[in-house]
Amino acid sequence: MIRKKKPNLLISICGIILLAFSFISLGIGSISISPIDIFYTLIGHSSGNSFILFNYRLPRMIIAIIVGASLAVAGAILQIILKNPLASPDVVGVTKGASLFAVASMILLPNALTIMLPISALLGAITVATILLVFSYKQGAKTHSFALIGIALSAICQAGIQFFIVKFPDNVNTTLLWLTGSLWGRSWNEIMFLIPCLILLPIMLVFARKLEILGLGDKVAASLGENVQLLRYSFLSVSVILTGASVAVVGSIGFIGLVVPHLSKRLVDTNARRFITMSAILGALFLLVADTIGKGLMPPVEIPAGIVTALIGAPYFLYLLRREKNK
Amino acid sequence: MFSVKGVIQTMGSKRTLNIWVVAIISLSLLLIGLFLHLSVGSTIMNIHTIFNAIFQIDQSRETTIIQTLRLPRTILTVMVGAALAVAGALMQAITRNALASPEIFGVNAGASLAVASATLLFATLSPSMTVYAAFIGALLGGLTVYVFASGRKMTHVKLALAGTAIHLFFSSITQAIVILNERATDVLYWLVGSLNGKDWTHVQVASPWIIIGLAIAFLLSRSFSILSLGESMASSLGERVQLIRLIGGLLVIMLAGSSVAVVGPISFIGLIVPHITRKLVGPDYSRVIPISALLGATLLLYADILSHFIVYPYESPVGIVTALIGASFFLYLVRKERLIKQ
Repeated sequence: MIRKKKPNLLISICGIILLAFSFISLGIGSISISPIDIFYTLIGHSSGNSFILFNYRLPRMIIAIIVGASLAVAGAILQIILKNPLASPDVVGVTKGASLFAVASMILLPNALTIMLPISALLGAITVATILLVFSYKQGAKTHSFALIGIALSAICQAGIQFFIVKFPDNVNTTLLWLTGSLWGRSWNEIMFLIPCLILLPIMLVFARKLEILGLGDKVAASLGENVQLLRYSFLSVSVILTGASVAVVGSIGFIGLVVPHLSKRLVDTNARRFITMSAILGALFLLVADTIGKGLMPPVEIPAGIVTALIGAPYFLYLLRREKNK
Repeated sequence: MFSVKGVIQTMGSKRTLNIWVVAIISLSLLLIGLFLHLSVGSTIMNIHTIFNAIFQIDQSRETTIIQTLRLPRTILTVMVGAALAVAGALMQAITRNALASPEIFGVNAGASLAVASATLLFATLSPSMTVYAAFIGALLGGLTVYVFASGRKMTHVKLALAGTAIHLFFSSITQAIVILNERATDVLYWLVGSLNGKDWTHVQVASPWIIIGLAIAFLLSRSFSILSLGESMASSLGERVQLIRLIGGLLVIMLAGSSVAVVGPISFIGLIVPHITRKLVGPDYSRVIPISALLGATLLLYADILSHFIVYPYESPVGIVTALIGASFFLYLVRKERLIKQ
């Protein structure tokens, strides 16, 4: 419990670890670059590695940080709103919806502009979220029906994805790589699509207090003068947009939104602002580590980051379940 | 034991249909389904041709098609449908959780992972080895969810979410195997769950397990209904709870594992068929198990017939059809709040 007494210190430490690690991650890949080289290149001395560094490694690192933070915050929001510690964008079907639309656009419109892919992924996330809300509206967006409807929708989207895979086997490898979630070959062009995340993450910090009130329960929130339904739906849309934009850029990377909020809840107190900040930092760190492991383990072969996050995230999740059960 | 029967019957819903009416209707649906299933394919055949092909074997083209392609496929469909439905019913009895089913409990995902890795590890994998791989995987998947996620404090919803997360975990490893390996497409097609191109070897491999599993499940059905009353009630009625649980678990692995090994992970049959059955005939498992088997076989037959018409004239994998039907029905159940008794 000592650690909970100095949450700000802990957050700063994690922030510093994140910074340090992002520096290290720049050096790892099929060509390893020493930290000193990286430092000199970054402050402006051109060297043989500057092309790789500025065109591949740097955007990739930035994308990993933004996407990791967005997915973790999206999961944190869902878990607070649904009052369900097991909710997350991937379990509730939002990620699957984004994937279905993205796969459809990849296969049906192969010659379309590259911008089509992220747009359709975002559309998919929004569509599933809308259906989810419409269906659960009757029960007043009650938490348990929400989760079950999400599972069913996710199964339907999965069927759709499998249909495309089976019907168009030529594109299967690109599709699969995308479905697993990978940061391979991402460049500055893709960062553009993450602008919504860059806007929404700071906004979430500003409105974190409202999230905390919502987490106290509908009655308490209403008696504090909040419009509960409006608040809940706005936070849900934030979560959906964060997820949609992330999935659009890196594919469906799982377990970040599920696992990271738990970890940060254990590290900081219930203050929502600290909780959100911690989730964002740890999410970024998690994805960055996963991606670095994926590209550094057996170069030049890359293991998709989504597989690494699943391999690390799932055992931790099982451990959490076990604790939940024994509580 | 009239008291036991009384308890089981009074805890059923008020309006259940007569068992014989249900049995006769589902049997006739099954028979019609059998004929439709045999007649639909790349060429449509009439009843007369089908009868000739089955009972008066000649050298005609139709006979060959029926004998080597359609008959094994139909038999396999019936067996797998029945096996998955009964597996689901058993799981719901053991865990007393309305959401328990091979797919929610990670049994399908575990078996898929095991079969996918076995297919890619060993270049030549005999069908019976596939079944053993699937058994191991099913056991692994089921145990993971059971050990980590089931318990008195786990509500239905929590179990479903936990199962989904574990499913995600297994399927991402399966994906990794497929991505990092060249021979991907076969496994991918198999992962959807398809009855296309199944022949007599597949029937031979799966049928002993499924038939024995179904028979034991039926013989022990009374114990399962007592088990579904709850642990304390069951042990006070003189039932060896742990033993029956263990047998039930083994039966689930036999039934679901061998089905997945042969046709791939076909989802939602094990979840929705027991629900429909209980709605029709009440919670007595000596009725639920046979009727579930009948309805599961019927549902899978019709789903497989439908799979020919989704993108006519191409055939779509039946797993997609059952997922669409099953998930829609599941949505309906959730909206009716039948599944959720927190």
